Amino acid sequence: MTYHFDFAPIWAHRDLLIAGLARTVAVSAVALVIALLLGIVVGTLAAARRRLWRFAATGAVEMTRNVPLLIHMYLWYVGLAFLRLPPFLCAVLGLAIYSAAYVAEIVRAGIAAVPHGQSESALALGLTRFRTLRFIVYPQALRIVAPSLASLFSQLIKDSSLASVITVSELSFAASAIESDTFRSFEIYITVALIYLMLVMAASRLVLLLPGAHRPLLRVRFADA
Amino acid sequence: MPEVILRNLPFLLQGLALTLSLATLAAAGGTALGVVVAAVRYGGVKLAAPLLAAYVEFMRGTPLLIVLFICYFALPALLGYKASAFGAATLGFILFTGAYIAEDIRAGLAAVPKGQIEAGLASGLRPREVLRLIVLPQALRAAIPMLFNQYVRLVKFTSVASVIGVHELTGDAMLVNARDFAPITILATIAATYLVCCSLISLAGRLLYRRLGAPA
Repeated sequence: MTYHFDFAPIWAHRDLLIAGLARTVAVSAVALVIALLLGIVVGTLAAARRRLWRFAATGAVEMTRNVPLLIHMYLWYVGLAFLRLPPFLCAVLGLAIYSAAYVAEIVRAGIAAVPHGQSESALALGLTRFRTLRFIVYPQALRIVAPSLASLFSQLIKDSSLASVITVSELSFAASAIESDTFRSFEIYITVALIYLMLVMAASRLVLLLPGAHRPLLRVRFADA
Repeated sequence: MPEVILRNLPFLLQGLALTLSLATLAAAGGTALGVVVAAVRYGGVKLAAPLLAAYVEFMRGTPLLIVLFICYFALPALLGYKASAFGAATLGFILFTGAYIAEDIRAGLAAVPKGQIEAGLASGLRPREVLRLIVLPQALRAAIPMLFNQYVRLVKFTSVASVIGVHELTGDAMLVNARDFAPITILATIAATYLVCCSLISLAGRLLYRRLGAPA
């Protein structure tokens, strides 16, 4: 092997990497919030008793998550180009809607895992349907799905790398820029891979800070599908 | 079918063929790699097991795009060979999917009761035979749903190969769009194509699991 390692050019471009990291965190955070909100609504509908709601929600989830994320991003960036949305927003929308389908599936499974007697007792005690969900079903479901949510969160961060394809200057974009500037391809891509790895590990720990999620029923896995 | 699709159909079908061959190669290679990695880790082979654990954690914490960049730009620079886009993508997908499949099979291995191993050893089988004849078949059956999940992800992920210049379905579609500019029609068509492919794989997985997966 005649390759000489040289990390100095990477260090010289650290400002690009830091800016890219900040952009990656921003895309992921905004997309995560939207995905959680959207996913909770759709997932609750998918667990509803009305068959119409169930079919509609499940159909939407299947349609969304069986299409590649890259196509979701192109849809906003190229397909709806006449809207002239900024690339950042296109990436966030594509990532959020794609991930919302996975959140919905997790939420549906979580609600289904809470014993039926729980919501029946709550309704019998006179709680409204909304309050039953809010105070009885969701808190128990959250504990059950906390590990899956942690996986989803780290998946979302990794997926955000595709935003570079539609010119969002996040971490992967910075990596490509530095690579074409310095030709230190091995050093830069290994560095960026390790940054992602640390980000993903930190993020999966962060999910456990959610109220009620600190004692999950299952062991936490930080990078599951 | 819209005129723009019809006119470019042979080109798009070529892309679809490349997508499917990339996915098939990666599924076969990734499954083989995953089984070997899971088996070595299960057996607790000295030195190899912790190294493979590090490989799995690295792959699962890194975006696919970066893995493809490493296989296309970094590894050839490091080892001094010239990579084709298709070759690099195949290698990247095998390494990437292999790590996820190794974890799925590990879960399947963990689900095989200890008593089975003890019974196998007590009846005079060698440890390797116990793994090959008793533990792995059960683990693989239990892992069928998760394996097919990975295959579905793989088909979707092949779209990322267009970024390093593989002319699969997404790359071809964007080329067609650059020439004929009908973004919504073209994107909707390939989205539907992926949807059909992924649904068929899910369906195949469910059928296979119904045949093989139920515990005897």
